[in-house]
Amino acid sequence: MQDKPFLRAFVSPAALCAFGLIAALAAVFQFSLRAYVPGSLEPGGLTLDNFTALAKPLYARVFLDTISISGITAICTLILGYPIACALVRVKNPLLKSAILIIVVTPLFLGEVVRTYSWIVVLGNNGFINSVLLKLGLIERPLQMMFTHFGVITALVHVTLPVMVIMLAAAISHIDPDYERAAESLGAGPIRAFLTITLPLSIPGIIAGVTTAFAWTFSAFATPQLIGGGQVNMVSNLVYQLGFASFNFPFAASLSVSGLALTFAVLALLRAATRPLEAVTAH
Amino acid sequence: MKRVVAAGAGILGLALSVLFVATPALAQEKLVVSIWGGSWRDLVAATAAKKFKADTGADVEFITGGTIDRLNKAKLARDNPESDVTFTTSHVGWLYANDGLYEKLDLTKVPNAANLVDQAKISPYHVGTWAYVYTIGYRPDLMKDVNFTSWADLWKPELKGKLAAPDFDPSHLIAVAAMLSGGDAASWEKGQAKLKELKPNFKAFYTNDANSQQLIANGETPVQVILSMNAYYMMGEGVPIKLVIPKEGAVLGIDTIGIMKGTKKTDLAYKFINAVLDPGVQAEIANLKKGSPVVSNAKLAPEVAKLPGVFTTPEQWSSQAIIIDHKLRAEKTAEWRKWFAENMMN
Repeated sequence: MQDKPFLRAFVSPAALCAFGLIAALAAVFQFSLRAYVPGSLEPGGLTLDNFTALAKPLYARVFLDTISISGITAICTLILGYPIACALVRVKNPLLKSAILIIVVTPLFLGEVVRTYSWIVVLGNNGFINSVLLKLGLIERPLQMMFTHFGVITALVHVTLPVMVIMLAAAISHIDPDYERAAESLGAGPIRAFLTITLPLSIPGIIAGVTTAFAWTFSAFATPQLIGGGQVNMVSNLVYQLGFASFNFPFAASLSVSGLALTFAVLALLRAATRPLEAVTAH
Repeated sequence: MKRVVAAGAGILGLALSVLFVATPALAQEKLVVSIWGGSWRDLVAATAAKKFKADTGADVEFITGGTIDRLNKAKLARDNPESDVTFTTSHVGWLYANDGLYEKLDLTKVPNAANLVDQAKISPYHVGTWAYVYTIGYRPDLMKDVNFTSWADLWKPELKGKLAAPDFDPSHLIAVAAMLSGGDAASWEKGQAKLKELKPNFKAFYTNDANSQQLIANGETPVQVILSMNAYYMMGEGVPIKLVIPKEGAVLGIDTIGIMKGTKKTDLAYKFINAVLDPGVQAEIANLKKGSPVVSNAKLAPEVAKLPGVFTTPEQWSSQAIIIDHKLRAEKTAEWRKWFAENMMN
């Protein structure tokens, strides 16, 4: 490969960003090893107390909750997103294609807080869903959806869906439709053709989409904060509650470092678990 | 040609020198004020900043942000502050003071401070600007058979799954539970068992004013430990809310102002504080936000003065307000918050 000096100039902004990120992470890490001094903004001497304090059942529960909420969100998003991505790629009508694309990406253009407040209106006891169900006589009392895992996951799926659809659509668009036609010409029905051709060939996109959706959801803040109402908490909510709302920055830093380590660990596990699938599709 | 170049250079030099000489003079005429955004910024812009401009001819530029964001920024900018004066809560003001971010105040330079009520003299570094209470607010249309006269009423079993409180500050309930258990904020551990008994009554914890307003407006949490100003705002919007001052008193909150250490506009900063404490400005703030003025000579509209949680007499200040020592609150907030998160919220 020829050395192209201008490429270095292109890389330098990214290198600067990476440097800023590493410096910030280093600052967070050193804060996590410092003692909290009540009534002061300055941290004290070196200590491991912030990490040993995490060994309480509450924190283990919140970390597990974060993993399960992120995992369920990623899977629900995949199930909902796959047919949409297929439609986006396979629909021939450009108007319909544009309409699907606009509907899919709109959540990304709404501010996170605006979008979450909208979900409060939809999920509340007097909200849209409960009002419709009550009027239809399907329920006698409003269903409790706010401040529950269901409410938080529903709102998270809404915002994660565009990311999943875009990643899946990119993968599906690389699958030659002739493969499916060939399978069908050899007697396979549409379902069998999908299950034996399209689905296996789109596995790299599925893995990328699920991984991204998981990592994206792991750091969610506003949605669990507002929809969870303190009853459903994720790691970022604990960081806010214990660090920023009470000035205990060292403890907040230890939570952040632990959350980051957990994300890396889960993503590494996910990678190890999906490697055999990738190997299959490579052949 | 050389003459043209020389003349051009001369004009440029003159322009630059005028600019350099003029800049500090212009800068003297603008005071930078750090404050929360939204209605708080608008409130100060419409009242104190207007009075300040009329008195001094100087403009006010606002930089806005949340309490903690601004504290962090002030800490990072230390000795070269981005703002000249800062509005913040009384206990967070102590964090500014403890960290050496505030100038020590010389109140002889603030004539209106002579009328400050005692409860607003927070520290040698910051003084109160307006007051409010956190108290019980409820929807009488949704809670027909419940009557509130005491904080103890929040523990009633019929309130199960109906209560909300702020998630950013549990100090109100911590102090109240300690009081009901024979202690006070300093001996808050006495109230821990009582607080745990309240857990079934919580439906949610609100994260900011807008969240509080939404949850009580849509009836999701028909009872709240609520900021009085928020309750009055929602009443103004047509939401039927009743505000109660329990027999033990309501928990007082005071927003404060301090001068940033390192500011080059100390004189203007003192004049701005004087404008904030002007009795006319104080009355205007109280009328607009339905809070308590912090100077004794402010004349409020009678319909505002009679509202629960608006204190205008020394008797009201002493008998209707539960005051958590602001310094103690600054020191204990993290401990209280952690205990609350571990035992009440999860």
